[in-house]
Formats: sequence, C-alpha cells, structure tokens
Amino acid sequence: MITGYILVWVFVFVLGFLVYSNKGVDGLKRSGKFAGHQAISISRKMPFALLTAAFIAQIAPVEDLAYIVGPDSGLLGIIISAILGGLLPGGPMTSFPIALIFFAGGAGAPQIVAFISGWSIFAVHRVLVFEAPTMGWRFVTIRLISCALLPILAGIFVDWLTFNVIILPQF
Amino acid sequence: MSKSDNFFVFLALITGAICYFTNGLTGIYSALDYSLNLIILILPTLAGGLLIGGLIQQFIDQDKINKALGEKSGLSGLLFATLAGVITPGGPFTSFPIVFALWVAGADIGALVAYIAAWSLIGIYRLVIWEIPMMGLDLSLIRFLVSIPLPLIAGISARWIVKNTPLKPQVKSNK
Repeated sequence: MITGYILVWVFVFVLGFLVYSNKGVDGLKRSGKFAGHQAISISRKMPFALLTAAFIAQIAPVEDLAYIVGPDSGLLGIIISAILGGLLPGGPMTSFPIALIFFAGGAGAPQIVAFISGWSIFAVHRVLVFEAPTMGWRFVTIRLISCALLPILAGIFVDWLTFNVIILPQF
Repeated sequence: MSKSDNFFVFLALITGAICYFTNGLTGIYSALDYSLNLIILILPTLAGGLLIGGLIQQFIDQDKINKALGEKSGLSGLLFATLAGVITPGGPFTSFPIVFALWVAGADIGALVAYIAAWSLIGIYRLVIWEIPMMGLDLSLIRFLVSIPLPLIAGISARWIVKNTPLKPQVKSNK
C-alpha cells in the first residue's frame, strides 16, 4: 500500500518537472485544471460507488463464490470469474473492492485475474453508458467478439506463470 | 455525465435497500464504515493520479496519433494504439470521446479495439491509482504482465472479423 503511495507521488513530481521545463507554469496550470475537473466529477460518483460496493459485499454470497472459483477450480473457475467480472457494474471504485473480497475469500490468482480482466473488457455499465451511445452497437458487437477470449487467456497465462513458480524449485 | 451520477445514486439506493432487508441496520452501518475507511485509504493516491492525468495530457499530440492509426497502419498501428491506450488517463468519460474522435479522423477498428483493450487492461493510470493500492503490488504486476499481448490479439481479431464476416462498422455522422 505504502509502495503505491510513494510510486504515485514520485510520478507526479517527475512528470510535473517535465511539464514545467517544457511548457512552463501554464502547462502546470492546465494540468491542475484538468485534474480539478476530474476530481469534481469523481467526487459526485465515488461515495455512491463505494457504498454500492460495500452493500453488494454485504448482500452477495461472495464467500461462496470465492470458494467456487478457488485455486483448484481451473479453467471452469477462470471462465466463471471472467463472466462474473463482466457483469459487475461500475468503475474501479466498485470492482477492485469486490475483487479484494474475492481474494480474501480464497479465490485463486488466475481466477482473480480473469475476474478483473472480465470486468475491464466487458464492463456492462461502461458499455451501456459510454460505448454504445458514442460508437454504436455494431462497433460494440465487433469489439466484444474480438475481446471475448482475452480474460480467459489472461487467467490461463497466470496459471502457467504461478505453476512454473511453484513447480520449478522441486525439480 | 449527470446521467451516470444518478446511476450511482440509484445503484447505491437499490443495493442499500436490499442490504437493509437482508442484514438490517447493522449491515448498513458496517457498509458505511467500510466505505469511509476505503475513501481515506484511496484519497492520497487518487489525488496523485488525477494530477498525473493532467500532466500527461500536456504531452499528447492528437494530430500525430490520428496519422499513425489508419487502416493501413498494420501491426505498428496496433502497437501504437496499444501504447496510446496505456498512457490515456481518466475514466471512460475521457477515453471514449478520444476513441470517437480517432474513428472519425480515420483510425480503423483494429486500432480502436486495441486502444480500448489496452486502456482497460493495461492502462498505467488505473494500475497505479486503483489496482496497486487495493490489490497489492504482486498480483497487480502479474496481471499487468500477462495482459501485455492481449490488446494486439484483440486488434488482429477485430480486423479479421471485419474482413471475413458481414459485420462492418459504420462511422456515425456527427450526432
């Protein structure tokens, strides 16, 4: 957690310095303005999004689901996780807390990765609110078909990686 | 944007009501407690991430991006789209307007699909603000690493679909 904090603020200072040396104070002002606008827009959604995630965590049988998609659930677990992730409404503020509950409940790493990837790619709410209105349903259909296998691939890759990490030292 | 504000309020009300009926007031209280703790936890990184978004925007030259993403841009166009997706900051309210603008400007569907896949799967912005603080460094980095080739696969599939099936995308004329 602390590493994340430090990483972010190191980024901020490095980028800030780059912007300042290339575009001067004006560049910094524009950056601040952009950040401020986003902050206002996020602050209207975030409290409700977080509450929704907390409520869902209370209602949903997350522990049972985490058991179903445990480390031994294999390919079927990966596919179920990808679909569950895609059905999850909301942005990162709701989905990561839920993924975290999955993780704490005992889901395997490949299944969690499939869950996060499924949400990243299919995000029902994002498709309905942003993608379909701007790009049209035909675009959405082509994109969803071309991306359909990605969360499952991600889960399988992680499975290979962790399998190798665990098995290799025993040889 | 106000529509999606309402959407979150609506979701919170519905899930809150269900939570009240199944878990009673204790359920509501512990959900409030959980959310409040999470806000405090996220706030420092969220503020930093928003500033990063603003700073990165100062370096994006849209004309150059449009030229590099056309139909005949080949694999390098897909790679470039992937890279652009990785560095695009912000939520869907910033990325989809960019996708639409690129589409009208002549970017092909393979590049756009690769861009969206890259932005949603391996966007550094989301990785740094949300995923690393919440999921931890190890899991986040493993997920990031395995996802690197995925936008390319998506872009190639999209081009294949448009070429070999009756599904063709149509650019909507301006609203």
